Amino acid sequence: MNRERSFKIAIYCFLFIIILNFILPRMMRGNPIAYLTGMDEASLSVAQYEYYEKALHLDKNIFIQFLYYLKSLVDGTLGYSFKKQSYVAPLVLSRLRVTLLLVLPSAILAAILGLVLGLRGAYNKNKYLERTLTPIMVVLNAIPLFLLSLLLIMTLSFSYKLFPYSGLGTGFLDRVYHLVLPVLAITLALLPSRYLLVRNMGCERAKSKSVLYASQRGLRATTIRYSYILPEIISAYITNVGLSIGSGIAGSVIVEKIFSINGMGSLLNEAIFTLDYPLLQGILFITTLAMLIAVGLTNIFSFLIDPRERRRNA
Amino acid sequence: MLKRILFIIGSLLILIFILFSLFPAAFAPYELKEMDEPWLKCSKTHLLGTNKLGYDILTEIIYGTRETLTIGVTASILALALGLIFGGISCENNLFGRLSTALINIMAMVPRLITLIVLSTFFYSSQSVMILLIAIFSFAPIAKVIGARVRMLNHESFIESLNIQGFSKMHILLFHIIPNLKDVIATRFLLGINSSIMLEASLSFLGFGDIYHPTWGTMVNLAYKNGAFLRRSFNYLLSPGLAIMLLSLSFYLILLSLEDNFDVIKEKI
Repeated sequence: MNRERSFKIAIYCFLFIIILNFILPRMMRGNPIAYLTGMDEASLSVAQYEYYEKALHLDKNIFIQFLYYLKSLVDGTLGYSFKKQSYVAPLVLSRLRVTLLLVLPSAILAAILGLVLGLRGAYNKNKYLERTLTPIMVVLNAIPLFLLSLLLIMTLSFSYKLFPYSGLGTGFLDRVYHLVLPVLAITLALLPSRYLLVRNMGCERAKSKSVLYASQRGLRATTIRYSYILPEIISAYITNVGLSIGSGIAGSVIVEKIFSINGMGSLLNEAIFTLDYPLLQGILFITTLAMLIAVGLTNIFSFLIDPRERRRNA
Repeated sequence: MLKRILFIIGSLLILIFILFSLFPAAFAPYELKEMDEPWLKCSKTHLLGTNKLGYDILTEIIYGTRETLTIGVTASILALALGLIFGGISCENNLFGRLSTALINIMAMVPRLITLIVLSTFFYSSQSVMILLIAIFSFAPIAKVIGARVRMLNHESFIESLNIQGFSKMHILLFHIIPNLKDVIATRFLLGINSSIMLEASLSFLGFGDIYHPTWGTMVNLAYKNGAFLRRSFNYLLSPGLAIMLLSLSFYLILLSLEDNFDVIKEKI
């Protein structure tokens, strides 16, 4: 996908989520108060009902409501969770750090591993490695993430007692030690699609005449991989990696549940359990925002490393 | 040769799963609610052990096949239909075409699982709602592929000559374009079943499963809720997941025997 285009689409996507978040509680059957507070409508007293109606500006018309909603996004509160008695933004942001601790290392690790292995798969003088790698990735892709995490726990923590299987630990080293398994699980979940993407893009480039000429000149396979194929695919690949933050966060929701880690994912699980709609929507908003930022950053990054762009601006 | 073997293994596995879903009673070793000792390990009498209530796990898996496949197949058909419609419209060079292209691009980028989680908490999560939601959130990549293929076909000389001969648009679409989309439709259908089942498993694992139609994902969620993890009852926790893996692998095997490149395989979460 084209770089500028992907950022534009990411912005539209962000707007789409903002509008969806506004419309959802108001278009559902029943009173929007039930969805905006997460309280049971029948259990509210008249005074409470009027209080909520005023607090949520539901007595105003829909455009004014939308403006109030936009204001809540801009001033950084993201609405109020009546179940948790707190604004949504601080709740989510306090947990976001832990989730990013899981997602960023795994996204980066999966991106690097996918690139190295994918290039090996795309151009190789002996085909044995490629013949074993691709089926492994296909099998890996068929394993659901929760099964992957459970398998890792079963082998590496219960049978061999190598790694802890819950919590985050205290202190830097202990934390890293606790993060190994969850990060590994998300990495393995993201890896197959990265690998196959690089492999497919690389295979196409490997058919080009420049690569044929280079191999006829007797250049080493590593040189061909990293100086001939890599520069052509890296820009598209980096854009794609930025997009994977969204699925990384989704993976983190599952992994945090299994490894009992107190991140945004377990906050989401709590919110599902208590039907805390404002909190759920806040998490969706933050996830999309994180994706938008990731796409933006990767765009800048791939702009910086693209020699064509540098020459055009010089 | 290798491809033929892959194809045979894949279709045999799928055949077994289809038979399970059609005639569960014929294959299940026990009745659905037949009780034995709870938390039994794998043994000769209970191949995959028993759960908290003493139900045989293998029996539950066999009965769950139908629900799992139902969601996978219907969601995939719906997504395919949506993909064909929107992919087709996106090739038109007018306002609708541009709107539909924009919609496809946005839907392809939305963080799927989190949005689905939010939507399923808002809507009462029954089986049909889940099928609909999964279809809506997986049609975009299909529409993209279909759109690209239709655009390519529109420039082929035989379509151009049909246009010049004055055949109606509808005629060209039904008798010339759609038959040329056969292979795309077939691979996308298989892939769609696969990804729908994966998505459904993740959602059910997080507790959105319809308890009246328990799928394999719902089984894992129940196992988790009932403390199989603390009891180290891995047979209960892992076997539904392994069933999902086998089913998904069998689809991949068939796909790989049909396709030469692997770009059909995409992200799962």
